[in-house]
Amino acid sequence: MVKGHKISYSHKSYSILKGVDVSVEYGDMLVIVGPNGAGKSTLLNILANELSQNKEDIYFKLKRFKEWNVLDLSKNKAKFSQHYNGDIPLPVRDVVLMGRYPYFGSIPQSSDLSAVEEVMKEVGIWELREREYNSLSGGEKQRVHLARVMTQLKNEVAHKLVLLDEPLNNLDVKHQYQVLELMAAFAKKGNTVITVLHDLNLAARFATRVLMMKNGSVLAQGAPGEVLTPETISEAYGFPCSIWTHPVRQHPVILFGN
Amino acid sequence: MKNKLPLYLLASFLVLLVLAGVSLHMGVYRFEESSVLKITGSFLRGDTSVPATDAYIIGKVRLPRVVMAILIGSILAVSGTCLQGIFKNPLATPDLIGVTSGATLMAAITIVLGESVRSVIPEALHYSLVSIGAFTGALGAISLVYAISSGSGKTNVVIMLLAGVAISSLGFALVGFMTYLAKDEQLRDLTFWSLGSLGAATWTKNGILAVVIAGTYSYLITKGKALNAMMLGEKDAEHLGIRVERIKRLTVLLTALMVGTAVAFSGSIGFVGLIIPYILRLLFSSNYTVILPLSAVWGAILLLAADTVSRTLVAPSELPIGILTALLGAPVFIAILIRYKKSM
Repeated sequence: MVKGHKISYSHKSYSILKGVDVSVEYGDMLVIVGPNGAGKSTLLNILANELSQNKEDIYFKLKRFKEWNVLDLSKNKAKFSQHYNGDIPLPVRDVVLMGRYPYFGSIPQSSDLSAVEEVMKEVGIWELREREYNSLSGGEKQRVHLARVMTQLKNEVAHKLVLLDEPLNNLDVKHQYQVLELMAAFAKKGNTVITVLHDLNLAARFATRVLMMKNGSVLAQGAPGEVLTPETISEAYGFPCSIWTHPVRQHPVILFGN
Repeated sequence: MKNKLPLYLLASFLVLLVLAGVSLHMGVYRFEESSVLKITGSFLRGDTSVPATDAYIIGKVRLPRVVMAILIGSILAVSGTCLQGIFKNPLATPDLIGVTSGATLMAAITIVLGESVRSVIPEALHYSLVSIGAFTGALGAISLVYAISSGSGKTNVVIMLLAGVAISSLGFALVGFMTYLAKDEQLRDLTFWSLGSLGAATWTKNGILAVVIAGTYSYLITKGKALNAMMLGEKDAEHLGIRVERIKRLTVLLTALMVGTAVAFSGSIGFVGLIIPYILRLLFSSNYTVILPLSAVWGAILLLAADTVSRTLVAPSELPIGILTALLGAPVFIAILIRYKKSM
């Protein structure tokens, strides 16, 4: 699905990523974790084709990004960014409709409008459709963008990729689970999800694979149970923890502190 | 959520059409033939049965002027809307960020210093020399303001407006200097440019304007989606399959061409590009897919109305049209500033 070999990136003389290898398959939900400044967002941006300084090529569905037709690419891959412009003087439905821009010319078709409605109901923001985007709370704005990103990938294409940069910021616990469950279901259909998360317990619960970063390099990569060990976590964060097993779901549960 | 844009456009065109009819009728000269529509109709058909004076007034005076008001008004409003989209700010209009000044400045330089060049270039270019000058000035001003006020996908509004002030002061100083250098007949041209007027309308100029409009609108009018998406941020617009860099560059180039042509033919008529998008935003929020095409029609309506008032209010004399648009525009400018302060 996505393959990147020896990804490096530096800003001025400061090197942010040092030779990271990533490979994700269909159906994977890869969660990138690591302490602040580890290079998580930079890695995600490179995988999303936002930064092109690195000399190594990223292969998305066996093609380099520059070999893709721009419109085709936007129907195969979408990204949820961490920071959105706060000022978008439009009603919510028009913001979500932007996700359909690759699909229609000047006037949205009924298929576009129904895609918007369907996804907005899935994400639980259909009631907000007539509200001004600028009047929403931070968490509601997050969910509007999430709906927009998912609307963009509402199509017949098999094996799509969605990249999310800390999608859970500002969300309460119910919506955190709702978003990740939506993503897990999306991945199950043969698509791929790559997301940066801060909460290791949510990573343990939802990821099929975890990539732990520190100082621009990969510290560990693999199934949640392999990566989320007391040793790796302490090494990455410099903070003690103990690992337990979830009594029902059998995934690791991390308890921080001594 | 039905798309009502075609309906709005149709209604707007009807308003424009009615206004054009009224405007043709208004003026110092009273037609012998009672119906102005009949005269216009027969002029367009090439019919010679109408009184010669009537035909002259319509064909050579009023109709070209009405058409020019429509074309220039449309150009000014659309260029304002496009710049606002590119700069992501409702204050980015050709006048406020110095694009009009840049164009006026270069037009003034070509009028005064063009004399010496004129003898060596082919005759056909004489007419367009001022236009080319104005276009270069407009393009230079936009590029400069954009380069210094915009970085990493965001615009610094204070810098943008101050850059406009700087360019306008430079323009003011140099136009003053040109006035000092100018000969008598050039002086008349210069005064015309700094005040703005549609009095010099001819069919040739309208033809050129129409060609410019056809060329630029065919690209720009459908870019509403792109300008909307850029509100998310430029990187995020690219994820939606929009080629942001290319669209930005072409929009800047085409806007400069539009403002340059408008300034060359009608001088600096201010504020149309501020007023129209502002009103449309109040009615339709900032959805560029709606306000971009509508601004093309409503800019025409505004300027045609202003021009009709300007030539009838103190008839048989004429009020400079720039005064009227500034009277409308300054309050809008202040209203936007107040809103902006609230949002800070």
